[in-house]
Amino acid sequence: MDNFSGSSGNKPRISYHEFYADDFTPREHYKLLWDHIKATGQNSLEVKAHESQLALQTEGVTFTVYGESDEGIERIWPFDLIPRIITALEWEKIETGLKQRVRALNLFLTDLYTDQKIIKDGVIPPELIYQGKDFRREIIGITPPMGIYTHISGIDLIRAENGEYLILEDNLRTPSGVSYMIENRVIERRILPEFFNKYRVRRVDHYPALLLEALRSLSPRGKETAEVVVLTPGVYNSAYFEHTFLAKEMGVELAEGRDLVTINDIVYLKTTTGLQRVDVIYRRIDDDFLDPLIFRSDSTLGIAGVINAWRAGNVALVNAPGSGIADDKAVYPYVPDIIRYYLGQEPILKNVPTYQMTNQQDREYVFDNMERMVIKAVSESGGYGMLMGPSSTPQLRREFVDKVLENPRNYIAQPVVYLSRHICYMDGELEARHLDLRPFVIYGEDIQVVPGGLTRVALRKGSLVVNSSQGGGSKDTWVLAE
Amino acid sequence: MRYHIEHETILEFQYPVREHHTELRLTPRDDLNQKLHSSRIETDPAGTLGQYTDYYGNRVDYFCVIQPHSRLVTRLIADVEPLRSNPFDFVPTPAALQGEWLKKALKEEPSLNDYTLHRSSVTPPIAKLTTEIDKALPRHLPGAPLMESLSELMAWIPSILTYRPGATEVHTELVSAIKAGAGVCQDFANLFISVVRSWGVPARYVMGYQAPELTAKAGEGEVATHAWAEVLVPGGGWIGFDATHNLLANDRYIPVAVGRDSYDAAPQRGSFKGDDPGKKPVVNITIQCL
Repeated sequence: MDNFSGSSGNKPRISYHEFYADDFTPREHYKLLWDHIKATGQNSLEVKAHESQLALQTEGVTFTVYGESDEGIERIWPFDLIPRIITALEWEKIETGLKQRVRALNLFLTDLYTDQKIIKDGVIPPELIYQGKDFRREIIGITPPMGIYTHISGIDLIRAENGEYLILEDNLRTPSGVSYMIENRVIERRILPEFFNKYRVRRVDHYPALLLEALRSLSPRGKETAEVVVLTPGVYNSAYFEHTFLAKEMGVELAEGRDLVTINDIVYLKTTTGLQRVDVIYRRIDDDFLDPLIFRSDSTLGIAGVINAWRAGNVALVNAPGSGIADDKAVYPYVPDIIRYYLGQEPILKNVPTYQMTNQQDREYVFDNMERMVIKAVSESGGYGMLMGPSSTPQLRREFVDKVLENPRNYIAQPVVYLSRHICYMDGELEARHLDLRPFVIYGEDIQVVPGGLTRVALRKGSLVVNSSQGGGSKDTWVLAE
Repeated sequence: MRYHIEHETILEFQYPVREHHTELRLTPRDDLNQKLHSSRIETDPAGTLGQYTDYYGNRVDYFCVIQPHSRLVTRLIADVEPLRSNPFDFVPTPAALQGEWLKKALKEEPSLNDYTLHRSSVTPPIAKLTTEIDKALPRHLPGAPLMESLSELMAWIPSILTYRPGATEVHTELVSAIKAGAGVCQDFANLFISVVRSWGVPARYVMGYQAPELTAKAGEGEVATHAWAEVLVPGGGWIGFDATHNLLANDRYIPVAVGRDSYDAAPQRGSFKGDDPGKKPVVNITIQCL
């Protein structure tokens, strides 16, 4: 682990700029865009920014933020109109790297819930799995359709200071954001059609069709007659917009737990004309709440008996319950070894260096360098339960030391990576903001990565936090065809 | 000895409930140490029964009653024959090699880690116990014969807990029982398990029955389910320790379900829709020697 400790020295760290090659020259693939912006002038950008706001409002593209009060506040999705452009060459590496990673993580899940060879061979310590909150003993012995656990993955990528794409986080449970990827493109096309004339941009709007195809292929009664539903926790969920969006785009029912019933291992939708058999459930609720008979008994969001119906092979659950153990942040440092173990290949995309708080040496190093570290709770997401070293107070740092010491398995730390920057149109000025990228991977009959993803932007100047729940925005993401 | 068991549970609701799903872990284990001659489950209202074997090796029977009902009765009827007349009937691995034996077992069967690592409110971490118990906890030194350490532990438990029917409920935390100084068989088993796990030795919770001649002797009156612990003993496999009676489990013990703790091995769990949480279940158990 010495290879990355103390790497920053006294040199100021400069993040990679996506747009500019140096202070004055845009990178090659941004030149056409830049010339166009220069030719039409800032006034036209101002008009376009205003138009995009109106479009988002009339489309009703929203997300929900939970603050101090329990009641969520619905906000218009924040969108920056300057697109992020990824070259065909860059994308090729991202795509093959993501496919490799998702394939290995699914082999890992299959192994964990069957033979556990990877533990027996000493590659993964057993404590890591058996003390993981998301290792689901209840599903051992069940083989999901086609042996796939994570049909939909959202993998977060960042660009290091040298421009290299790194994996920041795997999201294998109910990753959200794909609806915003599609809406961003819809808005961008409407507002800036002239941009698209200058580039060959690969499409992303076929995502719902790809998703539906993958979901239907899992149907126990065959693809042709497959009844698919999207299972939502309801209107109070922060991703409810996305649940309605995907159901509408795929042309399938949006259901809550109370709309479904399991009778003798078959799941039905209660409709006005009676019970209608369901074959595939794209569930957007967590394992804990999925089946009150098996998991949390106080859950009113789930479907009692659905796990036994799944066990009986009468319904497909997407993603499979138990997938969460593979994106546990304490498992993350082992993913490169997981890729080597199952595929016999070197990882194409690297991890961000990670310190394990169960390791005393790592822990002490992190405590000594907290201002330069991000400390993350392993089973939290969305930027919650996290310490951002550079902007933390001594008081907060002390609190985190106590938390880590109390339950080291529950935390990991990473040196702060200065996310790459991009120009954004902020209140009449073009300013640099940090961003990341969440591409979406669909694993059906084969693995497909939709060219693009959700680019999230930290709207506050200097901020490295891109989560929309924490003041993040977004950009349309263009992957070039050539 | 062969036993005939009937185990009936009656749930009653003031207002009808519906979409009622139930899982039962009632069918006695059928393995090298116990022969299950026959068993069946009856329910009223009648339901279609499904079965599977859970992660801990328990047979699970499940069914649902969709239509509104105010009463649900489940009944197990089984003939079973425990075979382990002498729990000491094995050649223990020499004390010096026990550690290696366990290490190898854990490596070859990673799921055994659950029985050393699992902690919950009913099987808490040892630090929680040491703050509540003002005397030294029994220890198991490397190289000491495990069976001796276990016997010492079992003999020590009555100095912490007194058996008192009704002292605790199913969900009572173990530390509360220890504070009160009294508990039921579940608490005895959980305390035993918690200490054994702190030694790094696999221990699991067993829900089952005790033969009637034993319960009569202990003067416990009506028959109820019993709980004890099983420890993976080098050379002997899973050996049962009944901390409530300071006895090793022999063929007078009828194991039904095992797990990390009492939650895993609960005989019945259910989920239903309705406004009434239900009255306290009525459980009727009869055990006859055949």
